Amino acid sequence: METKQLNETKSFSLPLGPIHVALEEPMYFKLDLEGEKVKHVDVTSGHVHRGMELIATKRNFFQNVVLTERVCSLCSNSHPLTYCLAVENLAGIEVTRRAQALRILAEEIKRVASHLFNVAILAHIIGYKSLFMHVMEVREIMQDVKETIYGNRMNIGANCIGGVKYSINNELLDFAEKSINRTEGHIKEIIDIYATDKMLLKRTTNVGSISAEDVIKFGLVGPVARGSNVAIDTRRDAPYLLYNELDFDVITETGCDVHARAMVRLRETIESIKIIKQLIHNIPEEGELAVLLPHIPAGEAMARSEAPRGELFYYVHTDGTDMPLRLKWRVPSYNNWDALSVMMKDCEVADVSLIVNSIDPCVSCTER
Amino acid sequence: MNQNLNNAQETIDRIKDAFENTDFPKLTWTTNHYHNYYAWLKLENAADLTKAMEVLQSLHARLCTITAYAEDRSLEAKQRAIAYHFAIQSVLFCVTIQIYDKETLEPLEIPSITPYFRNADWNEREFMEMYNIKIINHPNPKRLFLDERLDAGIMTKLIPFSSMVHGTGSKDLWEQVMLEKIGYVPETFKNELKEPGFTKVEETKQQAPKPQTEEKE
Repeated sequence: METKQLNETKSFSLPLGPIHVALEEPMYFKLDLEGEKVKHVDVTSGHVHRGMELIATKRNFFQNVVLTERVCSLCSNSHPLTYCLAVENLAGIEVTRRAQALRILAEEIKRVASHLFNVAILAHIIGYKSLFMHVMEVREIMQDVKETIYGNRMNIGANCIGGVKYSINNELLDFAEKSINRTEGHIKEIIDIYATDKMLLKRTTNVGSISAEDVIKFGLVGPVARGSNVAIDTRRDAPYLLYNELDFDVITETGCDVHARAMVRLRETIESIKIIKQLIHNIPEEGELAVLLPHIPAGEAMARSEAPRGELFYYVHTDGTDMPLRLKWRVPSYNNWDALSVMMKDCEVADVSLIVNSIDPCVSCTER
Repeated sequence: MNQNLNNAQETIDRIKDAFENTDFPKLTWTTNHYHNYYAWLKLENAADLTKAMEVLQSLHARLCTITAYAEDRSLEAKQRAIAYHFAIQSVLFCVTIQIYDKETLEPLEIPSITPYFRNADWNEREFMEMYNIKIINHPNPKRLFLDERLDAGIMTKLIPFSSMVHGTGSKDLWEQVMLEKIGYVPETFKNELKEPGFTKVEETKQQAPKPQTEEKE
């Protein structure tokens, strides 16, 4: 009874962040509370703005492949890939089927690792440490795959304008297949835990809800949109590379909450593994890996891809020199941040970091 | 790949129906090797922007992002343009508008498109501060990334790295240390370090309390 009275008494503001709201990356929240309930949220960003889009206009087209890979570590393959797609659209460059397959392989390996990282952090936030450690351990298998094939765990340096910078032999393909088979077995168990564990369900169900109408209104993308039953996926909606030849499902959930978004990510890892298996068994053996130093004409082009967090968009505008006049990218997190005001409306203070994590936030991507 | 073309054809037809036989300039179409289609609309009149947004809203377009840019690479150039990027199912649609007077080259104000596309909010706030572009009727025109103390239009300025991190950075830091430790910055210290770039701590210096020793005297 006393607690109830206390909750009803005061309205006040609570500063949260900028450090360690779900992740180490900085984002500051000013929460207006009534008791324990959040009534309004104001997001202040810009702590790690690096002016990368301006830097990109001072680098040549080939240096920008390296630069864009450093926008963010978790989707470090999606950035150079989409940048290369935009430049290739502009210059009319055709990438060989082998290079396209190798690009998808890198994307899907990164997607599995990224999604597992996010759902692991969910377990960490709710205090389910053993589950957190288990999911991170499974993710480590994918990190080993990256390290073995690409020589690095995060920035894998797979893409270049006109193709890829790496090849793969049968020995590496065998290793990748054995590794993803191991991962798949573990992920199926993890999905079962996330779908049925009572404590996890109680903390994540009906928390951070956003309706399909609001998803469309805010232009949300990726697992956040698909968790509210909005089936948007660039790989299917506007297929690029060899995606329209591959068998995979666009995963949706109807819960519209934190739990639905986590389940989308977990189920998508199974779809990514399905894609990786298809590529391993049918990877085209013929064809050049890349085009040698192509000329980039004056003009403008757009491209988009499905990064782990959703649609990644690139726009390049050139003036005939070897540096872009303007290079702009919009990351999936950019739209998702703004919608937190809807997801956090009337939530408990204790759920704020859980909701922030559910959009799989990336500050270094957003601020650039 | 033909599957992409078949999927896109219906969308392409809808876009053509909406924009052709109107006062809008003619659409330009491009494609790529994956048979993804791109439509480009270059508006000549700023007043046409809201009309174009109305049409795009009726086509259930999704705003992907907005790109502001300088048409000329030189830092003094005033000519700015804005490209609005939309996804209409499988088709990407780009509306470009120049936001300066063609004769005087003076910048023009443009209306916010947030009444049509809610997620334009952050995009417009970002290019307001990065390119110093004036937006009419923005619902929340506060800074997005940059601190209020920095000038708008920072993306059109070149700040040498040496100015940013060496002289200015070290001087500011030591002045703050001096203020905290002894309550003022000695004149000798001020004269020894020449600041090569922009100044920031004038306000702090003015508010600094006088040293205790002087008051006693």
